[in-house]
Amino acid sequence: MRLSPNLVPMLVVALVVVALYWPIMYLANIPAAQRALDTGAALPCKTAFECATQLRSPVLPSPQQLWNGFANLMFPLNSPNAIPINAAVTAFETLVGLLLATLVGFFFAIGMVASRAFERALLPWIVASQTVPIIAIAPMLVVLLGQYGVQGWLPKAIIAAYIAFFPITIGVAKGLKSPDPLALDLMKTYNANNWQTYLKLRFPASVPYLFTAFKVAMTAALIGAIVAEISTISFQGIGKMLAENSRASDVVAMWVIMLSSAVLGILLVALVNGLERLLTPWRRSSQVVAVPTKETRLAAREGVRS
Amino acid sequence: MSLSYGPGARYGSGWLLLGLGFGLLLWFIAAWWDMSEPASGAQKLLIGLGFLLVVWGIARVAQQFVNITNPVIGFTPAALTLLAVVVAAEALLRAYQVPTGLIPTPSRVLSTLLEVRDVLLRDAYQTVVLEAMVGYLVGCSLGLLTALLVSRYVFLERGLLPYATVFSSIPIVALAPVLVKMIGMDWPSKAVIVAITVFFPMVVNAFRGLTEVNPLSLDLMRSYAASEVQQYRWLRLPNALPFIFNALKLGTTLAMIGAIVGEFFGANGQGLGFRIQIEAGRFGFDIVWSAIIVASIIGIAWYGLVAWLERKFTGWHVSFR
Repeated sequence: MRLSPNLVPMLVVALVVVALYWPIMYLANIPAAQRALDTGAALPCKTAFECATQLRSPVLPSPQQLWNGFANLMFPLNSPNAIPINAAVTAFETLVGLLLATLVGFFFAIGMVASRAFERALLPWIVASQTVPIIAIAPMLVVLLGQYGVQGWLPKAIIAAYIAFFPITIGVAKGLKSPDPLALDLMKTYNANNWQTYLKLRFPASVPYLFTAFKVAMTAALIGAIVAEISTISFQGIGKMLAENSRASDVVAMWVIMLSSAVLGILLVALVNGLERLLTPWRRSSQVVAVPTKETRLAAREGVRS
Repeated sequence: MSLSYGPGARYGSGWLLLGLGFGLLLWFIAAWWDMSEPASGAQKLLIGLGFLLVVWGIARVAQQFVNITNPVIGFTPAALTLLAVVVAAEALLRAYQVPTGLIPTPSRVLSTLLEVRDVLLRDAYQTVVLEAMVGYLVGCSLGLLTALLVSRYVFLERGLLPYATVFSSIPIVALAPVLVKMIGMDWPSKAVIVAITVFFPMVVNAFRGLTEVNPLSLDLMRSYAASEVQQYRWLRLPNALPFIFNALKLGTTLAMIGAIVGEFFGANGQGLGFRIQIEAGRFGFDIVWSAIIVASIIGIAWYGLVAWLERKFTGWHVSFR
């Protein structure tokens, strides 16, 4: 296995961050600890320095506190209050939302590619819907859907879809327009009808663009799902845990949830990357050529495809 | 649409359909203005017919605008679409007599917007000027600075950039409660959230612009014995401007979202996000919609401002020619 040239610098940066964490943590926490001592709170420590790592609501939690919080929130794995199940629920909502967003995105994209009139009438609003802080609509949408009996995970998925459909629409529209004019001409000389042109040329051509859009849309959908969970009565999900612990002012738990949701986001995007590699294997070689590193240049000279 | 009559007649029929449909919808709204019982089935059918006529009309009329480059006239079909949706929503809500507490009619939202505009403007000042703008400026400048450093030192590029791409897949909302707890309920906490949100796209985009330079131009700079500073001033920065503006445009949206979401987790009793959260909780949806309209107008105007600056500073770029 070849090691990435990024590995050593990345490790160094990570080490620097970790090494800086302790002094910064002490700097941030000691004033708070001093204040807590001055007010005479019952703390199991004497000096501000000792207390800095044991505050109930630290400015920055100490690694020990984070570790303990992590252990508390991770196990037992199947507990309804533990992170794994809640993260799975949020991930499910996000994925359903992404699926819905893909359907809507394809609808708009095909419309825009097929008819310029459609594009003229709708594209400004599709763009404007992005400059609008759409998240603001989430609390209202959730209450509204709840009134009509849509409850549970579905409203969250719908909100996730609403936030994620834009990058997919734009990406797919770009992809559908991406085939070479020569290829389109070839379809014409084969007397292919519109439907065949889409099925055999335009859809396959749009797949790489779809995946690029998915990476952006996945994060957007995850944000949508979490915000939807926060602003509703929900019984499961990362957002519900965030809201609960925010109300209970459990700072350490909030840090743990934040870190786990970051991991969830990274995992979901990695899932898209994996699918991309699986479904569009022809892209891999072109990507390697697109960024000529020393190795690929060598390989190209020797006639080897890496 | 290769019918035998000329283009003028075709567009004329489009405008006719449009007028007919809007007439139908508006007539119904006027007739139903003070009613309190739901409309009959036939009347609902009439509304559907009116909406269909309008859509059909827009579809025909829009053909006429396909090749117009003037942005104001070219916007006509989109404006008609918005008008159609608003009028149809008004008619439908009145026909079904949906309780105003649940979905307010557009006319009611507009009157509420006029009533509470002072409160909303104060909220907007807090959310946009203090939180979003300050955070945006700080985040974007820091991002640009980081990109300059990262593009200069290969070690930083290898060590930092992978983290920047990883960070872009993290849901920012999860960051908000932590930062609000850490920094406090006042506006600085939200400004920090905004700064973090706009920081990473700026780093990634500006870095691409600074490094994806034509190798021939770089060789030319070298043969002129240009210093590092000159190289950045005359080649790399101009090359990066379109990328930087892309990040700036993206950042306007992210900044608004960041500020509003940040307020969901605690605010000092002001702000658009705070208002939306509170009013949605007690079914004051007319105020929620008004707040959303204010936020949207500001968001669009801000985006437009950055786009205008972009055209001013990078007018030479291929995408504008």
